Amino acid sequence: MSTPSADATTGIPPAVSEETRVFWDAAAEGRLVIERCTGCGAHGFPPRGICRACRGRAMEPAEITGPGTVYSYTVNYQRWLPDLEVPYAVVLVEFGQCPGVRVTGRLRGCPVEAVRVGMGVEIGFEPGPGGFAIPSFVAVGS
Amino acid sequence: MSVKDFFENRAVISGIGQSAIGRTVDRAGFQLTLDAISAAVADAGLTVDDIDGLSMYPGGGVANLPGYSAGSLYEIADALNITTTWKQGVVEGLSLPFYGAAMAVACGQARHAVVWRTVKEGSAARQAGGRPAYGSTKPAAEGPMAWLLPVGMLSPVVQIAPFATRYMHEYGVTRDQLAWIPVTQRSHAALNPDAVYTKPLTVDDYLGGRMISSPISLFDCDVPCDGATAIVVSAADTAPDLRKPVRIEAMAGVVDGRPFWEQWEDMGRVGHGCARAMWDRTDLRPADVDVAQLYDGFTIECVWWLEAMGFCGPGEAGSFVDGGERIGLSGDLPLNTWGGQLSGGRLHAAFGHTAEAVRQVRGEAGGRQVPGAEVAAVTNVGGPEAGAALLTRF
Repeated sequence: MSTPSADATTGIPPAVSEETRVFWDAAAEGRLVIERCTGCGAHGFPPRGICRACRGRAMEPAEITGPGTVYSYTVNYQRWLPDLEVPYAVVLVEFGQCPGVRVTGRLRGCPVEAVRVGMGVEIGFEPGPGGFAIPSFVAVGS
Repeated sequence: MSVKDFFENRAVISGIGQSAIGRTVDRAGFQLTLDAISAAVADAGLTVDDIDGLSMYPGGGVANLPGYSAGSLYEIADALNITTTWKQGVVEGLSLPFYGAAMAVACGQARHAVVWRTVKEGSAARQAGGRPAYGSTKPAAEGPMAWLLPVGMLSPVVQIAPFATRYMHEYGVTRDQLAWIPVTQRSHAALNPDAVYTKPLTVDDYLGGRMISSPISLFDCDVPCDGATAIVVSAADTAPDLRKPVRIEAMAGVVDGRPFWEQWEDMGRVGHGCARAMWDRTDLRPADVDVAQLYDGFTIECVWWLEAMGFCGPGEAGSFVDGGERIGLSGDLPLNTWGGQLSGGRLHAAFGHTAEAVRQVRGEAGGRQVPGAEVAAVTNVGGPEAGAALLTRF
């Protein structure tokens, strides 16, 4: 059973840079794309065009297909903008196969009160501000 | 005793000054800035003509929130009609309010530098009918904000709440323990005529406060206010010209993690690398600290610094503050004796904390004076920006 979640389209859209365009373009297709170093194989996020492990400059896009694990979270109840729907859960998600990568997004598929540190989530996206698709993870088992 | 030669020992804090401070102050931010600068220069025992260094935080007109900053360094220089040998508008890398100015006077770029921070966030929030979203002054979320604002992390509360979630998860610390930080600080604010909130606050009041972004509730958040704080930093060899200088015993501005709210690797521990670097520059130890002004944009930031500075061990802040005795005015470690930003007002970036540390070490803190205080700790933020210092009696 999925639980209806707050609409996420009210908000502030991202300013897209040359480094981050690949992320937002992939997000629009429902894919989570980060960077991988062609030299040492380390993954990196946010995309910077340089490897934080070996400082190599030859980075390539790499897709993560999940699942992920919630490192931490918050449930926001405050209406920071006039039409903002609340409450909603925001989760910080890590991926076992990509150490050092953490991606932040909304959480769907469970009541906001059910969010826990360590819970499993699948990768997903949903409509966000300004026509952008934003990360919106889905509780495993929903 | 080891022989030290650290630049901060060649600088002193010579003056502090504040404008009227309140939830709102019906006066332009620029005028509040001038009020604070004039007061700080007089407090130092100097005149405006002695000032040859100016520094403003944040410089460059940066404003992610309405009322976040006021005026410009150039306008102040012009208004005061002074010629400077050193100027600095800081946006990133502040560390501590007096860090850059101490460097400037220590290496002779200036003799007496004034640093200020002016906020009109109280008026701005009232005008907007509530605390607006962080970044709402710009149409799109730039740089690091691009990963926060679009997913709904629309305020520092939302951005820092996951630290509190993770900390409480790892150590089993509870909200009714941490309540004693805002509750005790409120009792200190009652003794500060300039504090924004002075009405008594109980643990039950705290627990009944509405949730903003879990587990951060209303009374965990600092209070947006209007006010300006100015600090004069002087070369130590000018001490004979100064009314009552305060030593900078040690300071550090190390950030030992990824400098982004959502990317900080170990959210159960913040500020430890900064505090360690600071303690490496002094023979004093945590037990020597008489009074602590620890940054408290949110309750959890105070928790970071209590543990990072070694006042208690990792995960022990809950039991350390429980009951409020240790952190009360007659406790082992009186904490945020002006009320902190939670009750005294969000003067921001440890400007209010620095002013209070100076008052305490001078013995000029009035009804909230910690008797015989000679060593004060001051810390700033933690996470992407961090600073830790000890100020001592001259």
